[in-house]
Amino acid sequence: MSFGDVLLAASLGVPLALLTGCLWAPLRARMMSLLVLAPLPALLAALLAEPGAVLTFNLGLYQATLALDAPGAILLGVAALLWSAAGAYAATYQRDQPNGGRFAVCWLLAATGCLGVFVAADLPLLYLMLATMTCGAAGLVFQDESPPARRAAAVYLALALFGETLVLVAMVLLVNAQPDGSLLVRDAAAALPTAPGRDVIVALLLVGFGLKAGLVPLHVWMPLAHAAAPMPASAVLSGAVVKAGIIGLIRFLPVDPALAGWGEVLAMAGMFTALYAVAVGITQAHPKVVLAYSSVSQMGFTAAVIGAGLAAGDVGMPLAAAFYASHHILVKGAMFLLVGVLAASAVARLRGVLLWAALIAVGLGGLPFTGGAVAKLAVKDALGSGWAASVAYASAVGTTLLMLHFLRCAMASASTDPAARPPLGLLWPYWLTALAALLVPWALFLALGLGTVADLVAPKALWATTWPVALGAALAWALARWGERLPKLPAGDIAALIDPGVRVAAGAGLWLSRSDVWLRQWTIAAAALLTVTAVLALLLQGP
Amino acid sequence: MTSAGGELLVLALLLPVAGVLLAFLLGGRWAARITLLALALGLVLTGLLGVRLFASAAPLTYALGGWAPPLGILLRFDGLSLALLATAMVVLSAIALYARAEFAVPAGARETRASFVFWTLLLGVWAGLTVVVLASDLFTLYVALELLTFAAVPLVSLEGRADTLRAALRYLLYALAGSVLYLVGCALLFGAYGTLDIGLLAQRAQADPATLLACALMTAGLLAKTALFPLHIWLPPAHAGAPAAASALLSALVVKGSFFIVLRLWLEALPAVVTPAAAQVPAALGAVAIFFGSAVALRQARLKPMIAYSTVAQLGYLFIMLPLVLGATALGQSTATALAGGMLQLASHATAKAAMFMAAGLIYAGLGHDRVADLGGVARSLPLTVWAFALAGVALIGLPPSGGFLAKWLLVSAALATGQWWWVLALAGGGLLTAAYVARVLMVALSSAGPAPALRAPVARSRQWVVLGLALLSTLLGLLAWVPLAVVPLGAAGAR
Repeated sequence: MSFGDVLLAASLGVPLALLTGCLWAPLRARMMSLLVLAPLPALLAALLAEPGAVLTFNLGLYQATLALDAPGAILLGVAALLWSAAGAYAATYQRDQPNGGRFAVCWLLAATGCLGVFVAADLPLLYLMLATMTCGAAGLVFQDESPPARRAAAVYLALALFGETLVLVAMVLLVNAQPDGSLLVRDAAAALPTAPGRDVIVALLLVGFGLKAGLVPLHVWMPLAHAAAPMPASAVLSGAVVKAGIIGLIRFLPVDPALAGWGEVLAMAGMFTALYAVAVGITQAHPKVVLAYSSVSQMGFTAAVIGAGLAAGDVGMPLAAAFYASHHILVKGAMFLLVGVLAASAVARLRGVLLWAALIAVGLGGLPFTGGAVAKLAVKDALGSGWAASVAYASAVGTTLLMLHFLRCAMASASTDPAARPPLGLLWPYWLTALAALLVPWALFLALGLGTVADLVAPKALWATTWPVALGAALAWALARWGERLPKLPAGDIAALIDPGVRVAAGAGLWLSRSDVWLRQWTIAAAALLTVTAVLALLLQGP
Repeated sequence: MTSAGGELLVLALLLPVAGVLLAFLLGGRWAARITLLALALGLVLTGLLGVRLFASAAPLTYALGGWAPPLGILLRFDGLSLALLATAMVVLSAIALYARAEFAVPAGARETRASFVFWTLLLGVWAGLTVVVLASDLFTLYVALELLTFAAVPLVSLEGRADTLRAALRYLLYALAGSVLYLVGCALLFGAYGTLDIGLLAQRAQADPATLLACALMTAGLLAKTALFPLHIWLPPAHAGAPAAASALLSALVVKGSFFIVLRLWLEALPAVVTPAAAQVPAALGAVAIFFGSAVALRQARLKPMIAYSTVAQLGYLFIMLPLVLGATALGQSTATALAGGMLQLASHATAKAAMFMAAGLIYAGLGHDRVADLGGVARSLPLTVWAFALAGVALIGLPPSGGFLAKWLLVSAALATGQWWWVLALAGGGLLTAAYVARVLMVALSSAGPAPALRAPVARSRQWVVLGLALLSTLLGLLAWVPLAVVPLGAAGAR
């Protein structure tokens, strides 16, 4: 076992050990202050473990396998950075809240699962990590126990488990499609293009992972959950947890001519999501809900990059998509942490914070020289020059508009007490994430050789990123001016259909309970016994 | 006919019977100690049997009195037997440790009827299950079935309240109807073939009307005893009304005995008679049971009835195994996946359900009620118990790394490999409803509003740890089960 292998094992082992420690009440009481440490081994593993490291543990017929490939390493390292910063933030943010023990347990579950998804290299382990992440994340959403939080947690849990079930069926189909029944994700993906029932498998994977990433119409849980969760939890949910869907799509859909058609489908679904979420997002006033819609939009864009890359057969797509997603992790994490900082302080005391926030927020739309501009350049090849590239401009305009709208909503939500100062425990994690949102994409871009500085400062490239931002800013001004006239949509838009659905289900449940009482009468039960006998006898006779 | 190590089978049979006799001889004061000692020996013996089975890779057999079938009785122990026996021993041991606080007679206290009866009936259930796993002819299986029923019925009414007596009577009458059907089927088969030995029937049985009718009658009888929907008339009141330790015994193990006999009948005695098409009937009832039971469980106001309806649902999964095994046989594929998946589901449900019932029992003991709506904050009063409930829930939902997950994986794999994709809907969809009723309880139990509920009576930590241990085992079964998975197909269907 090399040093890198030890780090790789520790990236799961340390959060798991802390989780086990929660069984012991005195440790559980102090766990909030240790959350910052849990993701550090994962961060070190992403930085120091050699690329392509593989680690296996034998469990009888089953081998648990951890592996670090380039897209996984990028997402692992950046997600670990956010998990750590948000963990530190949570220690201050949740200080006076009851039930710190429950928060810590859910946090560690979600962190273990989320980081594990990026390094799990075999199907059962990946599924375990997805399920662990879901359980923890649902607990985080539930944390404040208000009726919206309960509803959001229930919706999230139901949809996430549903998505995982679809993924499970796809996994089993992929294992059955291989003669040796290999359980490795890599082998499963390689078997996909020629697997029997390929289109069914791809459809299951797209819906299953699309749900995790929040593609429309499977996005309903995101605005509900991200608005209901405590601030640091929203940051990791919106920044890191949704990336499980992205890494799933990257890992399971190989760049292969057989999947080009499906790539088009994914690209269209992604671009539609990217624009739809902007349209709904600008009607929202709650800063967390606006951010949630921005996440939906960005995940749609990332999915479109993956789809367009598949359609064009661009082998650089996995790395580019993961890189794009990693930029979003930091920006979105920083924005959620900002909302918490603002709520604790007066706007007047936060000029520097807000200026920097505006820079990286608009950076998401591609403002030149920001991490966003770098990220946009990296995915240029994957998007190609067809319709996807054109719609990408519209998405950049929309993103700029939505992020400026967010900044306005966030400033309106700041503390009204002119003397309020943000606690240092909230401020430094914010600054760490916000600075990383600018510096880390640059560092990765240059280190991975995704492009050169010359590409970025070429006049054509500058123009291509400047005009959408300028147009978006103009639209944001118009929105501020005339936005009142827009219709007010409920948070979660089509989530409004959930409540009637629940009422119908409750009615069905009542009907089933009544039929149970009816079935359990003696006469009915005796008749049922005779009927079952007769039906069995008849069917045994055969046709 | 007797294989090497066959004597161990006799020992396995004698152990619970000797326990019952000793308990009668020494009285209720000793019953708990005798049971615990016998269970410890039983665990060791089961381990030995497992090792022997692994080593020989063929069923262990013992011909009683040296007489071979059809004249004599043959004890036979194969992979399926080991799966059920090992599950039963672990669950019985956990239940016995849990029940010690409730039913043991402390020094100086008066001996009570309930305590003596509980321990002897627990040994009785153990004896019944041992006969179920060892028997190789349909009549011995009938005896085992009756032994199980007569041990189970009084467990329902241990407390002697009017409603539990009514539930017990209901159980007894419906189970007797099931026995009658089974016995008539036996008579038909004996009349036609002159033997009830499973191996001989497998060679001789033909798909003539008498055999088909016999198969239908016996199956229906067994389904009634297993409480497969819509024959679950007796299960909810019986399993919800009994004391928690008894409920755990009934829900986790007793219903598995009759299911096991269905497997022997369909897969080993009459494989030439039954068809994949006919197997769709019990499986379809199972699929309906999954949705119906879960939906009704979601509407229960109290914890124990909810868990009882959850059993109605979970039993449904077991029956989906039948068309999968038969389908694999018909297509010339290996039946190992479906068999292993089904037996793992059995083991997973047994451990998880026993843990869940016992957790509910501790909550009842602590709060004096088990109304779901009034459980607010109980996680702060009984953290270990609520952990155990949650972990058992994870196993029932079928999340990894539980045995339920691996079982679901294997069953889904078998369903897809045999082209019976429709079962995937039930196998995969059921977990969502299970998650709903588990989450409903946890959301209330984990609430932080208001003060933690005061405990009416102290709940011993040791009991909580027993329940947590069993729940943990159930949750980790998916990791532990990769080794024993190789065992299940040993000597099973087709290997005779």
